[in-house]
Amino acid sequence: MSVPARSALGRRDFLATTAGVTLAAAALPGCAASVDDGSGSGSGTKKGASTLTVMAKDEDKKTIQAAEQVLGVKITYLAFDQTKLNAMLASKNPPDVVRGFGALDTPYFAARGLMADLDPYFAESSVLKISDLDPVNDLWRFDGEKQGAGPRYGMTKDYSQDGMFWYRTDMFDAAKLDQPSDTEPLSYDEWLDLGKRLVKRRLGKVKVYGLSAGGTLPTFMHLTASAGGKLFADDLASVDFSSPEAMKGLSWYLEYAKANIGPSPANPNPDGWDGPTYQAGRMAMAGDGYWFGGVIGGDPKLADVSRFAPAPQMGGHRISPTFGATGYWIPEGAKNKDAAWKFFEWYFAGQPAKDRASSGWGIPALKSLRPMMPKAQPFQKQSYAVQQQELPYFQMMTVTPYAQTTALDAVINKVLPGAVKSGTSAGKVADALNSQMNDAIAAGKELVG
Amino acid sequence: MSTGQLTGDTARAVPSPSPGAAARPARRRLSLSKRRAWAFYAFTGPWVLGFLGLTAYPLLYALWLSFTNSDGLSRRTSFVGLANYKEVFSDPDTMASLGRTALFTGITVPLSIVAGLMLAVLVNQPIRSRGLFRTLLYLPAVVPPVGAALTFKLIFDRDSGAANGVLDVLNINGVPWLIDPYARWVLITLTMWGVGNIMIISLAGLQDIPKELLEAARVDGASSWQSFTRITLPLLSPVIFFQVVTGIIGALQSFAPLLIALDPTPAGVTSVPESNYFYMINVFAQYFANGRYGYASAMLWVLFAFIVVITFLVFKVSKGAVFYTVEAEPAKDKPRTMGDA
Repeated sequence: MSVPARSALGRRDFLATTAGVTLAAAALPGCAASVDDGSGSGSGTKKGASTLTVMAKDEDKKTIQAAEQVLGVKITYLAFDQTKLNAMLASKNPPDVVRGFGALDTPYFAARGLMADLDPYFAESSVLKISDLDPVNDLWRFDGEKQGAGPRYGMTKDYSQDGMFWYRTDMFDAAKLDQPSDTEPLSYDEWLDLGKRLVKRRLGKVKVYGLSAGGTLPTFMHLTASAGGKLFADDLASVDFSSPEAMKGLSWYLEYAKANIGPSPANPNPDGWDGPTYQAGRMAMAGDGYWFGGVIGGDPKLADVSRFAPAPQMGGHRISPTFGATGYWIPEGAKNKDAAWKFFEWYFAGQPAKDRASSGWGIPALKSLRPMMPKAQPFQKQSYAVQQQELPYFQMMTVTPYAQTTALDAVINKVLPGAVKSGTSAGKVADALNSQMNDAIAAGKELVG
Repeated sequence: MSTGQLTGDTARAVPSPSPGAAARPARRRLSLSKRRAWAFYAFTGPWVLGFLGLTAYPLLYALWLSFTNSDGLSRRTSFVGLANYKEVFSDPDTMASLGRTALFTGITVPLSIVAGLMLAVLVNQPIRSRGLFRTLLYLPAVVPPVGAALTFKLIFDRDSGAANGVLDVLNINGVPWLIDPYARWVLITLTMWGVGNIMIISLAGLQDIPKELLEAARVDGASSWQSFTRITLPLLSPVIFFQVVTGIIGALQSFAPLLIALDPTPAGVTSVPESNYFYMINVFAQYFANGRYGYASAMLWVLFAFIVVITFLVFKVSKGAVFYTVEAEPAKDKPRTMGDA
């Protein structure tokens, strides 16, 4: 008896079935992500959910894992990775709590509807009271048009006024230079001049940096704001590096980069950040805010020779913003928002917040915790006093919702090295930055509307 | 014999059921061809599923993305036709990164094949402890690329790296190896460090060369160089050809520069030194630093097409230079005789 050809499992049938199974499997997580919890509360918490997925940095890992005991939830810790976060957000399967920069992330993610509105939670909380929130937390607000207003989408864990700087008294003494004032800000030109005097070279190569002055988007926003202007237009849909204030800041930065007295996009610090370089005695002045005191505090010898100074000033406008306002947010698609909020209350107002406040790694984001800032060591006492005097000059700087700051930083990193090497004029550099950044912003605006 | 006949024969060979079996419900038996088909599909199924889910679906999804302005996160993604592809070819940065990658490929592929072959010839000599040498030279190739890159990052760290430590002992100023203009040399060194992989394949090829041929050449008065160029290299040509093709494909997709960069993250990708800013680094930056999923997907498809074209050209160019050992087939039309055997 012969077997009819169609009764055997054919290749086509097999492949079609396999493809169907695969696509169905691929579609299932998407379906799962869109399932409503049925609570009708809008909180997005699934009944019986007991796992909280937190994406954070390794330095926070132990603290976060301690939440398991305190809150009685299972914590799944994910190391922060922007690539992974974007992929999770794109697949509608985000973590419940995500680390981020209030100053830089909020408009971008909020404009795309990816952040959960935390106002209802704040309204009901007896632990995190609006009246106790430091103004820095407003960087986590976005009303669709501007930062600093509208719903709250996250909270700062601690912050610094990042235009301020630390300096090494031993290097100032060796160079026979007067130390900067604790109260009166230097002008940017004076700061640059100090950097030129403090730099040490050997065989034509920089052995000790005189100064570290950043070089990312917030650096240029601060330079411009300090000169009395704004880098972003009011509708946040374009940048203008050609305005007189922005040009002033850009020219200063180009002079700094050309002088080769410190790290810049044209000559990056091989250490990647200022900490090891400053600690190793290869940097005289580090343009880092109060948080850098945490690095200094861990090394008694360094603490002995380190002092803190106010943010330099470009023009007559004294401003001392934060470049990060690092904290956490809850994605709109989080599956366990109520537990995420409980984590917020514990992390931002409980023991972890107190520990952070007294560690010197940043200014606490709750006013009530400010008295806990460390003052025991001489350098802590000095930096605390300088920091207290700087607080009134805190001012928010607003970023565009249409492009991620990494994309705008990419433009800076692309344009500046060549410009510094070839000695391109500030005007031409401004044109190149305007053109490339505005293209990126325009492309993003099409997507957000 | 047809499938039907086979099945029929098998069916006839089955003994008649025992009397007691009549009470049991009739069990449908699968024919042999069906069983064979099921076995085949059961064994190949996992691979096919993996291919469809992990290769075909992402590829097609990326193809679709390449025709959109997607940033992966916004809801208003729209179809932009061939705009992304046009931009790939008109963007000087993208073309520059492709050129840089092609140059890197042009340098490292021949260099590593020559170095690998030389090492293979060396460790093929009858010397003492050659097993140890082979192991030591092959060892770096076993290290995962990420581990190797991180090791190099530590070795060439400006402040605490071993390279500058040695210079320091010699009272020479330390060098910032991981930034331009030195970064490209660190990358080339890293690539050459893994040459043991090529060595081991070349060694296998060398050992496959019949000794009789080399002995015959020696008897005929050929020098070592003549034996190497006239016998060893031609017989090794399929192995070298394999290394050229896989080397080119691997080098064009090189991602190591990011791993030895200062900060291998989406934010730090733009700080990869310009000389090491390769095509795949650019793709990564477009995806994750710039959020341009559509454009980055188009870049990937262009690279795919570029690799296909290059591979095709290599096959064409090497046609007369690669010699395969082919077993002689007996002539079909000539009846075999005892004498033939």
